[in-house]
Amino acid sequence: MSRVIRAALFQTAWTGDKESMIQVHEQAARDAAAQGAQVLCFQELFYGPYFCQVQDKAFYEYAEQIPEGPTVRRFQALAKELGIVLVLPMYEEEQPGVLYNTAAVIDADGSYLGKYRKTHIPQVQGFWEKFYFRPGNSGWPVFETAVGKIGVYICYDRHFPEGWRALGLSGAEIVFNPSATSRGLSRYLWQLEQPAAAVANEYFVGAINRVGVEDLGDNDFYGTTYFVDPEAQFVGEVASDKETELVVRDLDLAKLREVRDRWQFYRDRAPGAYTPLTAP
Amino acid sequence: MATTSEPLEPSELSEPALSVRQVLTLERVLAGEPEVVAGAGQLDRPVRWVHVAEAPDVGVMLSGGEMVLTTGVLLAGDEDKQAEYIRSLHRAEAAAVVLGLGRAFPAPPDVMRRVAERCGLPMVVLHRPFPFAELTEEVQCRLVRRKFAAVSLSEAVRTALTGLITAGAPLQRLLDEVASHSACPVVVTNLAHRVLATAGERSAVDDVLRDWERIARQAGGSAGDGWIRAELGGRGERWGQIMLCGYRGDTATGRLLADRAAEALVLHRMLGGSSAHTWEEQSAQSLLTDLVSGVVPARQLLPRARAAGLPVNRRAFVPLVVRDGEPGQLERVLRLLGLSGIVAELADGATAVLLSLARDQDAAVLTANLAARVRSESGAPRTVVAAADARTAWDEVPAGLREAQHVADAVADSSAALDLPAVVRLKDVHLRGLIRLLRDDPQVQSFAERELDGLLSGADEDLLAVLRTYLASGRNKSRTAQLHHVSRPALYRRLEAIQGRLGVDLDDFEQAASVHIALLAHDAQQG
Repeated sequence: MSRVIRAALFQTAWTGDKESMIQVHEQAARDAAAQGAQVLCFQELFYGPYFCQVQDKAFYEYAEQIPEGPTVRRFQALAKELGIVLVLPMYEEEQPGVLYNTAAVIDADGSYLGKYRKTHIPQVQGFWEKFYFRPGNSGWPVFETAVGKIGVYICYDRHFPEGWRALGLSGAEIVFNPSATSRGLSRYLWQLEQPAAAVANEYFVGAINRVGVEDLGDNDFYGTTYFVDPEAQFVGEVASDKETELVVRDLDLAKLREVRDRWQFYRDRAPGAYTPLTAP
Repeated sequence: MATTSEPLEPSELSEPALSVRQVLTLERVLAGEPEVVAGAGQLDRPVRWVHVAEAPDVGVMLSGGEMVLTTGVLLAGDEDKQAEYIRSLHRAEAAAVVLGLGRAFPAPPDVMRRVAERCGLPMVVLHRPFPFAELTEEVQCRLVRRKFAAVSLSEAVRTALTGLITAGAPLQRLLDEVASHSACPVVVTNLAHRVLATAGERSAVDDVLRDWERIARQAGGSAGDGWIRAELGGRGERWGQIMLCGYRGDTATGRLLADRAAEALVLHRMLGGSSAHTWEEQSAQSLLTDLVSGVVPARQLLPRARAAGLPVNRRAFVPLVVRDGEPGQLERVLRLLGLSGIVAELADGATAVLLSLARDQDAAVLTANLAARVRSESGAPRTVVAAADARTAWDEVPAGLREAQHVADAVADSSAALDLPAVVRLKDVHLRGLIRLLRDDPQVQSFAERELDGLLSGADEDLLAVLRTYLASGRNKSRTAQLHHVSRPALYRRLEAIQGRLGVDLDDFEQAASVHIALLAHDAQQG
């Protein structure tokens, strides 16, 4: 029995201001819904530039309350209007001085389901994230949405297999991995790690990366957004490495069962032997 | 007996390099009554060179792949030395050792045989006295000829391809040349594994393309024996690859062909000064042009469409033609909207788009979205997208494309006057569509000339333009005056002039209709 859902990802370039960026994403949601997409995930810190190329407290202003802030409210209304599940990766301010790199998940009826806060925070040239974000404390939530069970794992998180596994154990059927990553740094990993995570955890992964070079630095964001299935097959083509693109794909979630019946990784894993992994 | 002057047959060239087994079956060698006494399982090792050596420490002089010939004169009587001799050959990765029986060893020495067997080193004894020089001459001549043949093939291919490039030959011609040497399908892809061009025997190419999705998605790109790939790239950027699919000769020759082809393709692109997209555009263009022309049955084009990245299983296809669209612009809009499709400029300058939608999607809504976005993104608010209804059968796509082309033709040049919607269909073009279809009919042509004679002979383009607007606007005088920036009295004077020249009364419906049809036919003939 197939269980096909239509899912979407959106990659785009920084427009120069927050409002027009939000409008571009609203239009993308409308375009996705017009195609019948039931779920859509945006890129990391979707309405801003990737300001972590510099360390400047002026960018703290981009943070908003989740879910009380205006952007979540705005997209809740849109999700309800279009009947689409939205994953919104944003800069979150819990209170002044307590900031996270977060993704809010909105159900197709516009209700706020919860958030995931990025756990692993990098601090390397061009990615000065510790300046902006506390490490996440949300654990590994999986959201029961109208379209299926959804997990989110943000950008640098993807290099750590443990979180992927935790999301799988919590029942995730699709894990979205919104990112902002640069050509020189990670191009060779981009089509390796997420497909490997999809295979190891036997679920779908949607990987999103922004495009273009922004004014704040030399990072060359290379797009190539894609969906990959639990057999590490790309679903349709990988998106452009330079241009704005909406990726709409049909995913057959029945493939999870098919693959898990074949490879019993969840049965055969040996948590008792993994104690050293959790030693501080 | 083989002689060194004969050229190698292509079949000979395509065999693997000379193996130990092949050396042993040479006529001159057979005269020495060779017997394999150890390492019989390793006789297919390639022989790179033949070396005569009596020194016990021969191993240090070798660099691997040699067949070593010896009489063992310095090894007789010392079993340790014999064993070490074999071990040193093994360490040096010699291909085989050949021992001439005679004074030193009247029979195969047991120690050497046992050690060779353990090492897996082929050991051959020659029962009859045999001049080693003959063997080295024979084998080395063959090896040199083989190398020479490879160099000469490489040179021939390079010369041919360079000649084509300097003559300005298109990509397809280069690939045809490569395929004539490889005798197997040749495929050029971009990094997304989209097929950009192919060459080779049609049915073999189709077989490859039919299975393309599976082939393209194989991790590491190993599609099996005879698949030889070479990367295409330059100036630090990789942008595609060329593949020989199912090459039947030896890998080294295939590699050589693929490398020469890759060099030529890179050069071709650099000299063309073109971007990565150009080959993709050419590929889309040839596919859509073939579909529209109907020369090749649609069914045969399906593998090409699939290999070009168009989803084709359980899809609905929407044929569109945009008169003043720019292919790059249309592709960007498709990406923005997340729509799958191929875009290419047709021979008449219009751009065709073939959308591939899931069957549950609303083709009319998505086409309207596309048209609206083309207008807003291109800054050309009057751009018209001519559309045919969605086709679920691939075989009906050519007819759909021709219909869209016909609609686009029918509204050409009249979009401004008609204030057309963003998407037009056959039902919207009414009489214009029919006239367009009949434009080459001699009777229609003479009708148009007869009706418009008074204006056409005067070559008064201004009056013709006024008449065109007047009729297209439904004989609306104030709108016509406005569009031509003239006062109403001035317009009346022109209309009177027109009526006078044509000898008709434009207030009479039938006469006006007749002139209108004639004018549409006249315009269609000019378009």
